[in-house]
Amino acid sequence: MLKARAHAALREPLIHFLLGGVLIFGFFAWRGEPADPASRTISVTPDVQAQVALAFERTMQRPPSDRELDQLIDRFVREEVLYREALRLGLDRDDPVVRRRLAKKMDFIAASAAETDDPSQAELEQWYRDHADRFSNGTRLSFDQVYFPDQPDPVVIRSELDRNWRSMGAPSSLPATGEDRLAADVASQFGQAFVQSLLALPAGSQWHGPIRSGLGWHFVRLREREAGALPPLASQRARVIEDWRRGTAERRREEAYALLREAYSVRIDR
Amino acid sequence: MRKRYIVLGAAALALAGGAAWYTGVFQPRASAAQSGNGEGTVALADYPDRVYWGDTHLHTDNSVDAFGFGVRLGPEVALRFARGEAVTSTTGQKAQLARPLDFLVIADHTDALGATKRLMNAPRALVRDPTLRRWQKMMRAGGDESIRAVAELITAAANGTVPEAMRDPDANRQATTDIWQAHLRTVDLYNEPGKFTAFAGFEWTAMPDGNNLHRVVMFRDGFPTLGDTLPFPGLGSDVESLWDYMAAYEKGTGGQALAIPHNSNLSNGLMFELTGPDGTPMDAGYAAQRARWEPIVEVTQIKGDSESHPFLSPNDEFAGYGVWGWDLGNLPLTARATPDMYAGSYVREALKRGLSIEQRLGINPYRFGLIGSTDSHTALATADEDNFFGKHTGNEPSAKRAMAGQNLGTREGRFGWNYLASGYAAAWARGNTRAEIFDAFKRREVYATTGSRLSVRVFGGFGFDDESFDANWVATGYAGGVPMGGVLADKGSAPTFMIEALKDPEGANLDRLQVVKGWVDRTGVLQEKVFDVAWSARPMDGASGSLVPPVGNTVDEATAAYANTIGSAQLREVWTDPEYEAGQSSFYYVRVIEIPTPRWVLFDALRFGAKLADDVVKTVQERAYTSPIWLLPQAAAP
Repeated sequence: MLKARAHAALREPLIHFLLGGVLIFGFFAWRGEPADPASRTISVTPDVQAQVALAFERTMQRPPSDRELDQLIDRFVREEVLYREALRLGLDRDDPVVRRRLAKKMDFIAASAAETDDPSQAELEQWYRDHADRFSNGTRLSFDQVYFPDQPDPVVIRSELDRNWRSMGAPSSLPATGEDRLAADVASQFGQAFVQSLLALPAGSQWHGPIRSGLGWHFVRLREREAGALPPLASQRARVIEDWRRGTAERRREEAYALLREAYSVRIDR
Repeated sequence: MRKRYIVLGAAALALAGGAAWYTGVFQPRASAAQSGNGEGTVALADYPDRVYWGDTHLHTDNSVDAFGFGVRLGPEVALRFARGEAVTSTTGQKAQLARPLDFLVIADHTDALGATKRLMNAPRALVRDPTLRRWQKMMRAGGDESIRAVAELITAAANGTVPEAMRDPDANRQATTDIWQAHLRTVDLYNEPGKFTAFAGFEWTAMPDGNNLHRVVMFRDGFPTLGDTLPFPGLGSDVESLWDYMAAYEKGTGGQALAIPHNSNLSNGLMFELTGPDGTPMDAGYAAQRARWEPIVEVTQIKGDSESHPFLSPNDEFAGYGVWGWDLGNLPLTARATPDMYAGSYVREALKRGLSIEQRLGINPYRFGLIGSTDSHTALATADEDNFFGKHTGNEPSAKRAMAGQNLGTREGRFGWNYLASGYAAAWARGNTRAEIFDAFKRREVYATTGSRLSVRVFGGFGFDDESFDANWVATGYAGGVPMGGVLADKGSAPTFMIEALKDPEGANLDRLQVVKGWVDRTGVLQEKVFDVAWSARPMDGASGSLVPPVGNTVDEATAAYANTIGSAQLREVWTDPEYEAGQSSFYYVRVIEIPTPRWVLFDALRFGAKLADDVVKTVQERAYTSPIWLLPQAAAP
């Protein structure tokens, strides 16, 4: 059990994020920023040269010649010098593009694990259950209804309903009966208030009403109510993975932000 | 030390690689039922028994202008939002529809699909064209600068001066293919027969001299049929080549497509001309093509309403809804409109012109049905007054948007409050699938609303009476007549219409139900008349002749509230044309008018303290326009 929990913790990207942060912080604390504005030394290591050469090769589909590599390195050095001087002058600070780009990078790092991860079966099942409203089939209703645009006299009508309901009420394009219809569908036709009232009624052969809808008044007989079932996960697995991925990425971004945000106090002067 | 660099480098590579894997390789698969046209996937009703609500005209960050205006939401978020989920808008506001939609067509501009997104993200050194460099800089600055960049881009498109680098179809082809195919897969993934229909589509954006001739093209099919067909570019092509493209698609794949003209109000008279596109008399070939490919027109949307104009219909007290600001001229206001242009810009007049062209050519190019849609560029299909996310990201809800100059970045002409929180498309269908909804569009059994979800049914025929209009009247209507969008052959007696409107179950009561009739009289002159057919109870003092007095107004501007203490929940009538004359070509469509309700500007005032000038329209009577039913002389009827 403990092992399982430790295992789960190891899978938790927030932990990765924190550990990664600690590592990066430790690395820079020990080594100093690679582009320390104070440093006037630029080392063009073989690794850097390889990167420069690779970038060239990706565009041109061939490795650079020696002369081209020299030019590329010159360009790299020039960029690095200007970059460091720009940092020294604080040009990174008031630039909205740099600001947005770095902020986006932080978001991306926080969420990236979720965007490539596959959830474990257990995680996926948990997600499926937690968001059943997105994936379930929805409540279904079977009912009969008699419609009155204006408020009717309940006493007169109740005595007649059982015998005569089909010819009572105002003719309209509303269906007199609904067979096995999704509650959401019924709501789009009769309004939310009608469905709420229907959901509260006992199913059976008893007439109820008048109940109020967005369209007027109704006498209603709720013949059957079938609670929405969640179909087997396998039937819509790809969709659920997509949903998990998006939801998890979003949550991790927010969690990572909340964690960082906590360290700040913000004062808004009005 | 080198090793540590390598560790960091490896981590960065893993990140980048992971992202590439996610965006490029991993593709969840839609099932066969999702990626097909939906035939045979769900049980269908015996006849169209339900109205389905949708938006056929939504832009996302793949649209060149929408991205430039600032939207950062793509097709997935747009689809999730439309089917009812809560999302975060580009400006960070929580957004959710009070009621989900049943179907959606994402219609991104085909020209330079995704190009502003690519331009924005391109390394500056690779952008050589000075204009593009300037636009990139403006877009990166964001806010008003970015909106101005798009305004320049649209004007350049209107003037035919878009930089070659952005326009070149060959250069764009690969990018277009990638974006389009990924888009089709996304659409299929969200298409759930019986629950939510996601259509593939695009917007064809031809704009000669800035005059709007735009069409939305929607497909009945998914990726397996459509995957090898690229969307058709608008700039520099004419509408006949669009129809050729659609014909080739149908012939080559067995799929189906239709085109929906919109914003005729911004066409400076070019959308519904009496002549052919080159100014010579329209020929039967052009008329037949147009009738074949364009069965539907989008009559109302955020950039104004195109049903009627007070100049054209001086006797219609309800004409001129949502023309404010929009009737000044074409889309970028590079050319002002003059009243002689209006006849070619408004739908009622087009329906009349169609009758007269038909008398001459034997074919009616303008026999179209009506829908509304949003044309939102926020990826959010909103048309509710109390939940309106605006035309584009620059006018999502805020204190300032109502009074802000809106002519695409300049201070000229149009203002934020001119935008309408409009509209939606309503389709009578047997089920919610691509095939069923598309086919409802084809037979024109659809109607437009300005955002309200009120329901309207019409059946035209001969000999309907009060008895036909009983509990089974819908079945009777289908059996003995034609529904909206249908055609009747003149039988020598006046046609009768069974008409019913029910209010939006969550919305405002109904003021009145009208029939709008257009016809060609004996001397060949086009005529129109609006008949009040049914109305809610009210004092009839001051009623003169056929004029029904106004219903009143319960709107409290301070609280943006209204009360359903006036108006009716249901209006219905069997109506026989009292002015019928044998042998005349005519059409009849139903217009349903709601009681006055607060516009979105009043909700802005309430929520954000927006200050509204005196000339701002603050209340409206929302409405529905059905597709017409045509009555044709026996010989001309199909």
